[in-house]
Amino acid sequence: MTFRIDPVTLEVIRNALTAAAEEISLVVMRSARSPLLREAGDHSSVITDADGFLISQGRDVPMHMGVMSFTVREFLRLVPKAQLAPGDVWFLNLPEVGGNHLPDVKAIRPVFIEGELAAFAVSLAHWADVGGAVPGSYVANATDAWQEGLRIPPLRVFTADGADTEKLGIILANVRGAAERKGDILAQVAATRAAELRLHQIAAQHGAGLLQAAMAAIHDRAEAQMRAAIISIPDGEYEGEDWLDDDAGGGGPVAIRVRVRIAGDTASFDFSGCDKAARGPVNTTPFITAASAFYVMKALFGPEIQPSGGCYRPFDIITRPGSILDPGPEKPVVGGNHETSQRIADAVFRAFASVVPDGITAGGPTTSGLLLFGGRRADGIWTTLYETHGGGEGARVDRDGAPVIRVHMSNVMNTPAEVIEAEYPLRIETQALRKGSGGAGRHRGGEGLHRVYHILCDDMSVTSMFERRVIPPYGLAGGEPGARFHVEVRQADGKEYELPGKANIRLGPGDRVIVNSCGGGGYGPPAKAQDTNSNADQRSELA
Amino acid sequence: MLDGGWRVGIDIGGTFTDVVAIGPDGQTTRTAKVDTRTDDRVLGLLAALEAVDLGWRDVTDLVHGTTMVTNAIIENHMADAALVATRGFSDTLAIGRQNRRHLYRLDLEPKLKPQIPAGRRFEVDGRLDHDGAELEPMSDESIARIAAQIAATGVRSVAVSLMHSYANGAHETRLAEALKKHVPFVALSHRVNPEAREYERTATTALSAGLMPLVGSYLDRLEGICPATTHLHLFHSAGGMASSRALRDLPLALAMSGPAAGVVAASTVARDIGLGLAISFDMGGTTTDICLIRDGHAEVSSDRELGGRPMRQPMIAVDSIGAGGGSIARLDHGTLRVGPESAGSFPGPACYGRGGGLPTVSDANLILGYLEPDKTLGDGLRLRPDLARAAMVPLAAALARPVEQAALGVIQVANAAMMQALRRSTVEHGIDGRQATLIAFGGAGPMHAVAVAREFGMSHVIVPAHSSVFSALGCVSAEMSYSQQQTVRMPVGNWDVAALTAIRRDLRETISEPLRASGVADADIVTREVAALRYSGQSYAIEVADPDFADPEGLGRRFIALHEQLYGYATDEPWQLEAIRIRASVPRERNGSAAPAVASGEARAIKTLPCIFDDSGPVPTPRYRRAELGCDQIIAGPAIVEDDSATIVIPPGASESTDGHGHLHIATGVRQ
Repeated sequence: MTFRIDPVTLEVIRNALTAAAEEISLVVMRSARSPLLREAGDHSSVITDADGFLISQGRDVPMHMGVMSFTVREFLRLVPKAQLAPGDVWFLNLPEVGGNHLPDVKAIRPVFIEGELAAFAVSLAHWADVGGAVPGSYVANATDAWQEGLRIPPLRVFTADGADTEKLGIILANVRGAAERKGDILAQVAATRAAELRLHQIAAQHGAGLLQAAMAAIHDRAEAQMRAAIISIPDGEYEGEDWLDDDAGGGGPVAIRVRVRIAGDTASFDFSGCDKAARGPVNTTPFITAASAFYVMKALFGPEIQPSGGCYRPFDIITRPGSILDPGPEKPVVGGNHETSQRIADAVFRAFASVVPDGITAGGPTTSGLLLFGGRRADGIWTTLYETHGGGEGARVDRDGAPVIRVHMSNVMNTPAEVIEAEYPLRIETQALRKGSGGAGRHRGGEGLHRVYHILCDDMSVTSMFERRVIPPYGLAGGEPGARFHVEVRQADGKEYELPGKANIRLGPGDRVIVNSCGGGGYGPPAKAQDTNSNADQRSELA
Repeated sequence: MLDGGWRVGIDIGGTFTDVVAIGPDGQTTRTAKVDTRTDDRVLGLLAALEAVDLGWRDVTDLVHGTTMVTNAIIENHMADAALVATRGFSDTLAIGRQNRRHLYRLDLEPKLKPQIPAGRRFEVDGRLDHDGAELEPMSDESIARIAAQIAATGVRSVAVSLMHSYANGAHETRLAEALKKHVPFVALSHRVNPEAREYERTATTALSAGLMPLVGSYLDRLEGICPATTHLHLFHSAGGMASSRALRDLPLALAMSGPAAGVVAASTVARDIGLGLAISFDMGGTTTDICLIRDGHAEVSSDRELGGRPMRQPMIAVDSIGAGGGSIARLDHGTLRVGPESAGSFPGPACYGRGGGLPTVSDANLILGYLEPDKTLGDGLRLRPDLARAAMVPLAAALARPVEQAALGVIQVANAAMMQALRRSTVEHGIDGRQATLIAFGGAGPMHAVAVAREFGMSHVIVPAHSSVFSALGCVSAEMSYSQQQTVRMPVGNWDVAALTAIRRDLRETISEPLRASGVADADIVTREVAALRYSGQSYAIEVADPDFADPEGLGRRFIALHEQLYGYATDEPWQLEAIRIRASVPRERNGSAAPAVASGEARAIKTLPCIFDDSGPVPTPRYRRAELGCDQIIAGPAIVEDDSATIVIPPGASESTDGHGHLHIATGVRQ
């Protein structure tokens, strides 16, 4: 039996499916334990069809949602549908199985309607710790995947009868902060359950057959939207590249190169020209690569395109096995998720610079600017603060860049200073705009952040994972680059040094970590004698 | 006519100013609708009084709701203010939470410019920790320097937001004493919003400072006109009325004044009828406001955004969506979309004949026969079905459907957006909204209510008496109330009843003060408390009403039960008391319902016209005048009930009966 679906019913069902995805995020935000989820919002949600193709998503982090276009499809390669049952919640974090890095753990709930597998509800949450060599599971000098923490293959941790306490026990025994992690896991399970109820309601109202027809139509429409966007780009080959500061293993800059071929309503993104896999944890996966290319296409050519599995049909993503974007399961990847993904986006944006010169933003904080602080509070409780630091947005043809913002593949918030001081053995002495850090230009780049952490406990573990320390955010059309990312350590004993972009160190009471995040690149040649610092803040705000 | 004794509620909206006046006998009711004077709202208010034939000497109580503050925030028309922050933190407004507003729109500004620019942001020394302990004192020299710097800016209003002031307001208070010698308006963050998270608190305080001069001068003018014999009150966002004196210090309390008044009127109806679960559905020209009402009380939220700026104030948890009668329909990549673009009141929907050429929801309602063809609206405007059809033709062609089916599609899509809002307003609270009764009002609410309710699976809709001036009715039936929230952060393992008693006493003192100042005796003040509880590791708290602070175990049990209900799980982890919210109110003596008494009788249809409800085509539909409906007369759909400014649609399968108070009860036909 086939169903014909009219545009009205389609819109009604699409709204309902989006609401179901948004509800997952809402429940995670409200009931999770770790500040990373509840304060910074480092989680995302999607609904997929029965074959794992993305149907709807919450308003979360583009990188997560892009990756989850693949998660369930890859999951189904390992777990036959016959093995799935109503009430199951499977957990998974392997990067090579439709993933990105170990801390982003996906809770996957198959949803059955009238006894048939009809959809999946997926909650991705960044766990503040998944084990491994250092608190927070960012091992800056990792050389293989096993050093990075607990690897969870598709694992049925919950069934209709509740938690499988043995499997849950293995997970909790291998991560720091077991109580907090357990709260986060329960939040993910509850969130996908809420989405399941919503899907049941939709099916009860419209019929299971019509729901399936709507999902197929959503894919077809997204495909049509994406093809229409691609047709607007002149046929031809476009090349772009960008560079990572280093390979996180003692080596120099690493090249990310893309050759985009536009032919009619199809686009291929060939990343074969990228450098080989890095020694350290800045490798990433083909799924992140596809997510990044998709983000750029949507941002440049069709912000209104409904993200769904159909969007990817006109794409061909080519990565070279053994390269930094397709390193195989043995290589460390934890930082590639948010550092290399942003380099890929930068490279693809720059490939299109000649096509839409007015649509491109100058270089910005395409790095998470990540610092992790792990230490024990005065009351004996172990805590890990995972904090990203936004920087100045790049300028555009018609406006200055915004100060202190997250761009492109991420949109995770900061943790308020008042929350940090209440919950971690840290004091924030200053959080200010980094004056003069935006690149000069006809339009100025935005300013970065200046934040000073004062450490209050013994033996605090501090980890860095950031980029744009060596290679600054680029200017466009004659605009100047933004200031480089710079993190300085000032120890109580007088020792001072610059913290590398990928490092694990230990600090003690009275030591300070001073973050100066990067500024945005400028756009267009600066007017004569434009200053670089005085009054810059005022001008960019009053403009 | 006797002098005095009238109670008057006036709602000044964007397009219309509505008025409801209740006579000294508590029964006589007059209502009217006049145009809003955006150039001078006070003149519109006077015109409204005139329209119900009252002069100042007749009016004992005047309560009015206004969208003035809402619009000032959304349009960013606020007074220039300065900010004083703790040393090292004056850029907090520019940093925000570092997230961007639009994920994929690179062309748009990713965040709003800070309300107060760098040149007017100053830093003072002195530092507290998160428990309120002083790490560094605030020096007199620093205070003097700040005062001089502020004076030099020439602003009239200052926001003061110091780190951890929610735990200890002493530094802010000291600074305020010095600043008040130089500027008339000072907003202190520990008074405006005593809660943690420096960006949200500072932004809320800055908004307050930007609004104080504006609200101050409006109140000056209002008080100048209003004689001493009339008690003047304004309707505030948390669903009560406040004296103009109190609002001078806390102008942000007016941010949701207008929508809140309608919700409160709906709550009163829900209480009177005894509805356990209701949803107010206020559909106007450009927006629809939806709010959950449990046991006769609207949900109050304290963490909202307006015009892209965070605003942490207790306010009725209204969810506004951009779909109303004026919303424009269009086809986008094969999908029919409605809103958020609106034809507004000018040119308005195509059927207004003022030059609007795009099809809107109102045009669809006219094509389907719900709105009466050639009906004359207030100011001589005649609805034009021919123009509505002409506007719908291109859309129908693109959809390859007849015009009537395209119009049906427009209504269905608009209703779908409302369903999403209904779902948000209920699922967020772990509630099955299908069990609720929909209370529909506003210009377009009663036209869409039954279809929306059916789609959502609700069996019961009420269109209350005075539905077209319902917000004004909310004003006139309001009670005087103030609310305040205080961060406490007390873990269950560290319970201190004495400390809580002291905090609650201070809170009660603070919020009772404006009531006493307006002459209310202590014995008449009723306070209600809410405890915000959470597991120690969570950010969002769950609210427990009327908590017994002497019984932490019992409180814990209630928290765990609620957590289980909301999120589907609970654990035995330690929890903590995050905050206490307290509301002080003065229940009204004369809370008699303003609804008219309706006698039994049998109304006859005045005429029968074709209406379209689904794909099966037009059906003859009798039309009734609302005023003629008899108590307990049952009218089966299809039927239309109208008064001068509202149209109530009762589709086939639904049926209507009117109760003795003039409320229309509609059974949607959905069985549960």
